[in-house]
Amino acid sequence: MLEVTDLHIEIEDNVIPETVVHDFDITIEPGEIVGIVGESGSGKSMSAHAIAGLLSRRDMKKQGTIMFEGEDLLTVSRSRLRQIQGDDIAIIFQEPMTCLNPVKKVGWQIEEALRIHRNMSDDEIKSAAIAMMKDVEIPEPELRYDQYPHEFSGGLRQRAMIAAALICDPKLLIADEPTTALDVTVQAQIIELLRRINRERGTAILFISHDLSVIRSLCSRVLVMNKGRIVESGPVEDIFNDPQEEYTKHLIAAIPKFQKIAPVPGETRKPLLEVNNVSARYKKTGGFFRPGNRSKEIVKNVSFTMYEGEIIGLVGESGCGKTTLGKTILGMLDDTDGAIVHYSQMPQMIFQDPYGSLNPSRTVGWILEEPLRINGNHKDDENHERAIKMLSLVGLDESYLARKPKALSGGQRQRVCIALALMMEPKLIIADEPVSALDVTVQEQVIRLLVKLNRELGIAILFISHDLKVVYEICSRIIVMKDGVIVEQGTDEEIYNDPKHPYTKQLLQSAGYTE
Amino acid sequence: MKGLKYKIRNNPELYAGALISAIMLLIIISGTIFSPYDPNAMSASDKFAAPSMAHPLGCDNFGRDLFARLSIGGATTLLVATLTILMSLTLGIIIGAFTGYYGGVVDEILMRFNDAVLAFPSILLALVFISQFGSGTWKVIISLGIVFVPSFARIVRGEFLRCRNLDYVRSARLMGAGDIRIMFVHILPNTLPVVLSSAVIGFNNAVLAEASMSFLGIGVQPPASSLGRMLSDAQAFLFSEPSYAIYTGSMIALLILGFSLLGDGLKKNA
Repeated sequence: MLEVTDLHIEIEDNVIPETVVHDFDITIEPGEIVGIVGESGSGKSMSAHAIAGLLSRRDMKKQGTIMFEGEDLLTVSRSRLRQIQGDDIAIIFQEPMTCLNPVKKVGWQIEEALRIHRNMSDDEIKSAAIAMMKDVEIPEPELRYDQYPHEFSGGLRQRAMIAAALICDPKLLIADEPTTALDVTVQAQIIELLRRINRERGTAILFISHDLSVIRSLCSRVLVMNKGRIVESGPVEDIFNDPQEEYTKHLIAAIPKFQKIAPVPGETRKPLLEVNNVSARYKKTGGFFRPGNRSKEIVKNVSFTMYEGEIIGLVGESGCGKTTLGKTILGMLDDTDGAIVHYSQMPQMIFQDPYGSLNPSRTVGWILEEPLRINGNHKDDENHERAIKMLSLVGLDESYLARKPKALSGGQRQRVCIALALMMEPKLIIADEPVSALDVTVQEQVIRLLVKLNRELGIAILFISHDLKVVYEICSRIIVMKDGVIVEQGTDEEIYNDPKHPYTKQLLQSAGYTE
Repeated sequence: MKGLKYKIRNNPELYAGALISAIMLLIIISGTIFSPYDPNAMSASDKFAAPSMAHPLGCDNFGRDLFARLSIGGATTLLVATLTILMSLTLGIIIGAFTGYYGGVVDEILMRFNDAVLAFPSILLALVFISQFGSGTWKVIISLGIVFVPSFARIVRGEFLRCRNLDYVRSARLMGAGDIRIMFVHILPNTLPVVLSSAVIGFNNAVLAEASMSFLGIGVQPPASSLGRMLSDAQAFLFSEPSYAIYTGSMIALLILGFSLLGDGLKKNA
């Protein structure tokens, strides 16, 4: 059905032309699910967008052929391409928040492809859209039809996107990281939905992801991409069980697998941090027309104790208040109740987004020395020496001191952030999703670095994460949060092998720990 | 890495603007330093003298060397514009930093006041100041300086609003950095690209504003020369001696062109 041969893509803007995809070949038969896996910048999305005809014909030079049912999509006329797009080939994107138009009703957006490609009456279109919404399991489709995207949750938006993509019954659905932005429980549901659509309608799916375990559970064949080239391809089980290429082996080894990275040290039981009945609220100041302050309670009556040298995993889905709890502990919020007792000096924090947490206009050396200067130490030699020591501790050499954050990769930035947190010699580091913005191989390195720091320097880590696999790898105790409340806390054994709360069970199931 | 050719192709405004501005500055500086004539010395015999080896651009209605006067006039105009921008930029950065970083009531009050000042055309507002305090080079600088503050304050405030909740600012706060340090050591350098390009564009406006005010006779006072003043003098001889007006006008036009291209280029780079 689809046959791409020798595809080269070259970006041609004003600067130097750059080839981003080399020798890309793929064949997709009707009804097949094929995966493309690779890290960011590997060219996987670029190739898929080329197939969908989404790349500018002027700025992106393409060579090779993309044969779709006997037509070359690279040379076919634009009007013919528009007929194919949305009708025979449809695409769903990663970010359900931005790919629906916020000022149009969801029903209208689902119908759009029908209005363009089919000659149907308004009533027929509407009933087709509602049937489609029912099919992708959007509850109460008649009611939801007239709602706007902001009234939908992330998972429902992704369902609406899928409905809009499938409304013309395309032969090929291109799914570009459709589950990456979703919570783990929702992610599992969307994967199940795609599988069912493929089975019932026979739609072929080209599934792009950086997440190997998702690819493994869904696809029959997989292509591994690295730096714009296909490294290896074949049936999913062959690739996973018997990878041939070095890169593939590396990639598979980096998947978190519910295995402890290093043995857990004995308990010290010297308390480091006590959190007693803490609540936190976000204030919403009233406007001119609606005076009065309202506040929303994000964290409700949370209590736990941290001991020296341990790694606690704080898990929960987005919006459960785990980041807010971290900020509360650090004293970054004003409107809080309860008592937080620190038995050491102020803890430091590592942020999720390594691109926002380093001052872009300063050098790494300046950034690292800043906390010392702030605390009144102006001996430049000493500060400099300490910065070099901390950099070497996180595996970077002296030459990085003079660089600006722009010249660092995501993994290097996160290492600098960790070095920065270490400059003040804290006993406790709060790490807020420190690896979720990183590629899987880099993720593994950073995780190992954190464990090394914990074991060698005895630094306790409060590890905030949504990823139960990573948490299992490194944490000795786990706290599960939902809607601002701790629903369960205990040792890793207790949580993983004997979960009490139904929500914990559901999380473990979605993460693939239990069936 | 990337060659100069690619850089120029990528941002021709920046390089063209820098080139034109540099040439104009060179002319003005060389004219001011090396010209053998006192720009204010009159000579009845040289009245409207044609260009010659002695007077490369000829003389004006009082027999003063035109090139020397254009150079010193350009220098005066540039000096007024530079000081104006320095003054308004300093005030604008301070106001913008505090309002953007703290927000709240102070922000509301200062910004509404800002809006009120912005609502008046800048020349008109400067005229009000001049009519109150009298004319003269320093008064022009101060009145224009005050008039230009709100636009800078607004830009800086926007940048501070954008930056104040970024993770690196949070992280600085966690280290124990004080508000002033966060504002001026951590955030300010990040606003520089935007502030710089708006300063260059503001500089243009200042050149134009100074020229307009001097043209109206309320700016720099004779015998000191400034481009606007000279243009106003040249106006009387527009038909008999058009070269006087043409030289002066082109000088202003080229200065503005150079700096506005430079500003656009910087904005593109930011």
